[in-house]
Amino acid sequence: MVTESDTESIQVEIVPSRFLMPASAQRLLNEIYGNGGLIRIMIHGPNLPRSVPYGPGRGAPIEENRDLLIEVGGQAFELCVKVGRIRLELESAKYFDGLKAACERALPISFQIRRGKFFHTRQTITDYAKFGKVEDTRILGLIDPRAKKDRMAILSEEKVTIHDEER
Amino acid sequence: MAYKPQFYPGSTSVGINRRKHMSGNLEKLRDIPEADVTAIMGHRAPGADYSSTHPPLKEMGEPDCPVRQIVAPTAGAAAGDRVRYSQWTDSMYFAPSTPYWRSYWGAINCKGCDPGTLSGRQIIEARERDIEAYTKTQYDSEMTDVALCSMRGCTVHGHSLRLEENGMQFDMLARTEMGKDGNVYAVKDQVGIPLDKKVNLGKPMTEAEAKKRTTIFRADGVPMCGAVGARKYDEAVEALHHMWELRSKWGFRPE
Repeated sequence: MVTESDTESIQVEIVPSRFLMPASAQRLLNEIYGNGGLIRIMIHGPNLPRSVPYGPGRGAPIEENRDLLIEVGGQAFELCVKVGRIRLELESAKYFDGLKAACERALPISFQIRRGKFFHTRQTITDYAKFGKVEDTRILGLIDPRAKKDRMAILSEEKVTIHDEER
Repeated sequence: MAYKPQFYPGSTSVGINRRKHMSGNLEKLRDIPEADVTAIMGHRAPGADYSSTHPPLKEMGEPDCPVRQIVAPTAGAAAGDRVRYSQWTDSMYFAPSTPYWRSYWGAINCKGCDPGTLSGRQIIEARERDIEAYTKTQYDSEMTDVALCSMRGCTVHGHSLRLEENGMQFDMLARTEMGKDGNVYAVKDQVGIPLDKKVNLGKPMTEAEAKKRTTIFRADGVPMCGAVGARKYDEAVEALHHMWELRSKWGFRPE
């Protein structure tokens, strides 16, 4: 039997049984943040467009999807998706039980939590087109390949460097 | 003895509900005013004239045709209305109806309509005043639960996604919303253009109620084979196997 190292980072996926309202998402993310040991986190779910994308009503504003600001760890950012799945990387396995407890505290509904490998480690062509040569591999797998790179919110102030020039 | 049509086999609750949908013998659960249904459909302003593609049939002078003499035209066809549509999206989480059953309902019970069945949505086209009546029937009857079904002309995304926390089917364009009073309100028409006033669609079904009225077989609800562990499968599966067998044999014709 292989003994698991408790010093290596682990990746975790949390899937609530329903899509979360912004308030619940904020509560959950703050609990996860408060648990500590977080290296990076990705919020996944269906897109919330700001205006009707096609059809006879194209261009009509969707007020319900605008200004969905949530505050995590003292920093506010705008929610672009309906939160349906959260993938994150923890510094080590010792934070896992605390994370599970945090989800139980924050979520009013049932959820699944599992460990696995959810972020890719090698740079893809899309990553290259979007970021150029990636020095900090932590940004890999954080955003949908089709999304614009401004979808990524950098909440940790240190070490993550992304070229900000417009393409 | 008068002929009595038989619609769907099986003695499960889903089989019974499917028979109800096909026969049109549906329970009326709510009464949404005609003007509100028209507003949600979004083809014309409530109270406005119907646009037409041809003059009323009486003025046109139809040719001498035995079929035309036998078949009475629908109100919309007689007036020469334009063909319009209404399109529904039903959640996989135990919505009362599904695209196939809306189409069966339309094809069997609605005169002069053209139902279109897709995986996640179902559209019915008909003359404008006819489709308004058919849509109102769908809205008012047990075919529709206001949280799990909604009218979506475009951006129909949502039928196979998880529900929202409040039990509503996910809608990217936020056409319906759950009010603080527990009622569901339509705030936009079927293509996402805001309505002048919110339309109260009433309270959604509870989860148990939706499971009772659903036409969806699901492993975590009512399975198609009937009671788990029964010595004999439900008739629905036997009929399906029978049809599959005949279709396969008919299709396989070595010359």
